Amino acid sequence: MKDKVDMDEYLEALWYMKENNNMSKAKLVDAFGDDYKEEILQRLINEELITLLEDKKEVSFTEKGEALARRIVRAHRLAERLLFDAMGMSKDFEKGACEFEHTLTEELINSICTMLGHPKECPHGLPIPPGDCCLKAVKTVESSVMHLSDMRIGQSGRIAYINSGNDEEMHKLNGLQVRPGAIIKLHQTYPAYVVECEGANVAIDEDIAKNITVWRIQGSKSDAHKTEPSLTKQKKSLWCKIMGK
Amino acid sequence: MKQTDKTDKNVLILGLPNCGKSQIFSNLTGEYTLVANYPLSTINIKGAFCTVEGYCYNIIDTPGIYSLHIQSEEASMVREKILSGDVDIIVQCVDANHLKQSLSLTAELTQLSIPLVLVLNALDETARKGIWIDSKKLSYIVGVPVVESIAIKGVGTNRLKQAIETARLPKSPVIFGDVMESALSSIISFFPDSMRHRRANAIFTLLNDQYIEEHIEKIAGAKTLQDIKDTIADLKNRFQWNPAKLLSYTYSRWVDSVYDEIVKKQASAPQSFSENLAKYCRTPITGFPILIGIIIAVFFLVVEVADALTGFLEDLAWKPVEDYIKTVVIDRFWNDLLIGDYGVLSMGVAGAILTVLPILSVFYILYNILEDVGYIPNLTVLSKRIFSKIGLSGATILPMVLGFGCKTMATLTTKTLASKKERYIAIFLIAFAIPCAPQIGLSMSLLGKIGISAFFISFAILVLVEIITGLILNRIIKEDRTQVFIQMLPPIRMPNIKNIAKKTYYRLLEFLKEAFPVFILASLVLFTLDKTGILDALKVFLEPMVKGALGLPVDIVDALIVLLARREASVAIIAKMIEANMLDYVQSIVAVTLTTMFFPCVANVGSIIRMLGLRSAIVIVVVITISSVIVMTVANWCLRLVF
Ligand SMILES: Nc1nc2c(ncn2[C@@H]2O[C@H](COP(=O)(O)OP(=O)(O)OP(=O)(O)O)[C@@H](O)[C@H]2O)c(=O)[nH]1
Ligand SMILES: [Mg+2]
Ligand SMILES: [Zn+2]
Ligand SMILES: [Zn+2]
Ligand SMILES: [Zn+2]
Repeated sequence: MKDKVDMDEYLEALWYMKENNNMSKAKLVDAFGDDYKEEILQRLINEELITLLEDKKEVSFTEKGEALARRIVRAHRLAERLLFDAMGMSKDFEKGACEFEHTLTEELINSICTMLGHPKECPHGLPIPPGDCCLKAVKTVESSVMHLSDMRIGQSGRIAYINSGNDEEMHKLNGLQVRPGAIIKLHQTYPAYVVECEGANVAIDEDIAKNITVWRIQGSKSDAHKTEPSLTKQKKSLWCKIMGK
Repeated sequence: MKQTDKTDKNVLILGLPNCGKSQIFSNLTGEYTLVANYPLSTINIKGAFCTVEGYCYNIIDTPGIYSLHIQSEEASMVREKILSGDVDIIVQCVDANHLKQSLSLTAELTQLSIPLVLVLNALDETARKGIWIDSKKLSYIVGVPVVESIAIKGVGTNRLKQAIETARLPKSPVIFGDVMESALSSIISFFPDSMRHRRANAIFTLLNDQYIEEHIEKIAGAKTLQDIKDTIADLKNRFQWNPAKLLSYTYSRWVDSVYDEIVKKQASAPQSFSENLAKYCRTPITGFPILIGIIIAVFFLVVEVADALTGFLEDLAWKPVEDYIKTVVIDRFWNDLLIGDYGVLSMGVAGAILTVLPILSVFYILYNILEDVGYIPNLTVLSKRIFSKIGLSGATILPMVLGFGCKTMATLTTKTLASKKERYIAIFLIAFAIPCAPQIGLSMSLLGKIGISAFFISFAILVLVEIITGLILNRIIKEDRTQVFIQMLPPIRMPNIKNIAKKTYYRLLEFLKEAFPVFILASLVLFTLDKTGILDALKVFLEPMVKGALGLPVDIVDALIVLLARREASVAIIAKMIEANMLDYVQSIVAVTLTTMFFPCVANVGSIIRMLGLRSAIVIVVVITISSVIVMTVANWCLRLVF
C-alpha cells in the first residue's frame, strides 16, 4: 500500500511537470529532493506506466500511465475543490486532498465532480482533467449546483465557484464580492443579467453568468439571506461516504 | 491663512465608485465638484485646501476604484499617486450600503504604510434598511479612526476633520498563508531599503503587475527585476499555486470575518419600491416606454416653461433696452453694432441670456434630477442589445450613455476601456451624433416650435447615424480583444433638492462664464464679416451646398459660423429663423440635426486630443464635419419624399 501511495505521488508530480512542458528526470529528482527514490521510478517503468527517452533523461507516460496520472490529479484537484468550497477549509485542504486522491474510486470521483457541477479548475487555478461525467456534461436533476444562467428570476443561491480564465474578470467580480460563498440573487436576465450580491446590484454579460455556479438554496426566497444553505441529503450522504472510507 | 512650519499634508480621498467621495471632498473644502448618482462622475484627480486648527491639508478627490490591482487607466492613475510617496493620509470613503465591497479595498490599504481614516458613509440608507454597523468595533479591528457620516447632509464633516489629525497606520496588514508570506519576504529582500511600500509592491509583483515591474526596474535596475521574476517563477513551480487566487481568497476571508463582527442587526429588507422601479427601467418591455415617457415629459416642460420664461424676460428686460437704444443711438453703424442682426447686445447678450439660459435652466433641473435619482446607469442594461448588435462590448455602454450628459467628460471616461479599438469607436460615436444635455434641451426647444414629431424624427436620424457609423468603424478597425461587462448599478435615490439646486446653479454659472464672452465675440466676428462683405461672398460660395444639397436657406451659414465658436450660439439664430417662418418643417429638422453633429465642440475636441492625440483628433473632426453634411443631404432627400 505504501508503495502504491508513493507511486501515485510520482505520477502526480510527473503530471504537473507535463503541464509545465518539462518532463526531465532531473526535474523529478529535484522535485522530491532528499526523498527521491530511484526504485520507485524503476517500479513505474516495470509496471509500464512510464518510459525513459533520450538517454534516460526524459520521462514519458505510457498510455496506461497517463490515464492513471490523470485520474490521480483529477481526484486530487476535485478533492481540493470539495474541501475548499463546500467545507470551507482554507488551510489544510491541500493535505486533505492528497490523502483522498489515493482512496477515491472512479465512481466516487465522478459523483463528486457531478455534485460540484463539473468544475474546470482547482482552488489554485489549475485545470481539472475532465472525466466521463464532464464529457457527457449531463446536467442531472440530482446535482445540487446549477449555473447562474439556469436560475429562475428571483431565486437566490450561494456561489460555489466561478470558472474563469480571465484575470481581469476575476478581479472585477471579486472586488464586487461576487465570489465563492457569497449569496447571489438573480433579478433580471434580459437584456443583460442583473444580480444582487452583498447589497450591490451588478449587471453582467451572459457569458459571465454561464461561468458562475451556484449552490441551490432550499426554502422560501424571502429568508434566503438568513438561512445557511443546508447540505442537501445527497451531499451529506456522499460526505459520510468519503469520511467513513 | 496662517501657515505652520510643517509642510502641507496631502490627504487622498479614496473609495469605490459612487460612494460619496466627491460629496465628502466638497464638505471638507467648500469647493464645488460634480456629485452625481452614477459611477465615473469624477475622472480626474482634483485637490483643494482645508484648514483644521492651523494645519493646512491638501484634500484630493479621486476617481472611484474597486481595488489597487485592477489594471485600468484611471485606477492606475490613483495608485501611482499613492505609491509616488506624496500622499500622507488616506481617507477611505466606505459606502455602508456596499460594506463588503469597500472592506475588500480596506484590506488592500492595510498593506500600505500610509495612515488611514475610514469614513462610514450613507448611514441614513443602511439605517432605513435595518442594518446597524458597529463603527467602534471596526475602528478597533483595523486600528484606525472610523467616522460615521451622512455626507449628503453634511453629518460627520467636523468629526472627519478631527479624525484626519489622528489618522494612524492600520494595526497590522492582512496576513496571508505561510507560503505566500515567505514568498513576500523573499521578494522584499530584493528591494532597496529606500523603497516605499515594500510589502504592497511585493504583492503587486507577485501578481505580475506590469506597472509595478516598470517601477521596480526604474528604481532597482533590470537585473534585480529579473532576479525577482526568477524567484517568483521558481516559487510558483515549487508550490503549484496561483497567487491571485490565494490573495483574493485571503482578503475575502478577512472581509467576511470583519463584516460578521461589525454588522449587528440585519432584518431581511423587503423588496423595496425603488428596487422595483429600477427593474422596470431596465426591462425593455417597460423600460422603453418609461424612457420615451421621460423624453416626452422633459420635452413639454422644456418647450413650455422655457418659452414662457423667454417671453417673460424679453418683455421685462429686453424690449425696454432695445427701445431705449433705438431712440438714443441714431447713428446707423453703432445702432447695428449694438442691436442690429449681428449686434453685440441683440445677438451676444440677449441670445445668451434670453434664449439659451431659460432652456438650459429648465433642462438642467430635469436632467440633474434624473442624474441624482440614479436613472442613467440603468440605461446601460436597457440598451445592451443595441450595442452588441453594433459589435461593441458592454464596457463601452456607460461612457456612451454618459455622453448624453457631457461629451467632454464622457470622452475622458473612455479611459476605463482597455481595448484601443473600442475606445476609438466610443470616442468617435460620442463626438459624432450623441447630443449632450444642453444640445438635447436646445433641440427640444427649437423643434418644439414645430411639434414633437419633428424632435423624434431628428432623434431617430441621430440614432441611425450612430448605428451605421458604429457598424462601419467596427468593420474598418481591426482588433479582437473583447471586454467583459461588469457594471455596478447605483441605488435609486430620492433626489436631494439642495444638491440639484446647487448643481444646476454651478452648471449654469459655468455656461455663463465660458459662453458669454464667446457669444459676444461670435457676434462681433459675424458683424465684421457682414460689414466687410465677406459674409455675403461666403454665402454665395456656399449656396450650392446649402441650398442645393441641404435644401436650407443660405442664411443658415450664420449659424454654422458661430457654431464653430460655441454651439449654443447657433440656437438663437435658428430660433429666429424658425419664428420668422424662414424654415419649414423639413428644413427645421435638417437645420437642427445638422447643427447637432456639425463640428464637435471645442471642449470635446480638447478631450479627444488628450485621449487620442492631435492627429487622430483632426481626422475625427474633419470626418465628422464632412459626414454630417453628407448625412443631412441624404436625410433631406428622404424627408422630402415623405413630406
Ligand atoms: N443617501 C445618501 N446619499 C449620499 C450620501 N453621500 C453621497 N450620496 C449620494 O451618492 C451619490 C454619489 O456621490 P458622489 O460624491 O458623486 O460619489 P463619488 O464617490 O465621488 O462618485 P464617483 O466620482 O463617480 O466615483 C450622489 O448621488 C450623492 O448624492 C449619503 O451620506 N447618503
Ligand atoms: Mg466623485
Ligand atoms: Zn496529491
Ligand atoms: Zn490545486
Ligand atoms: Zn464531471
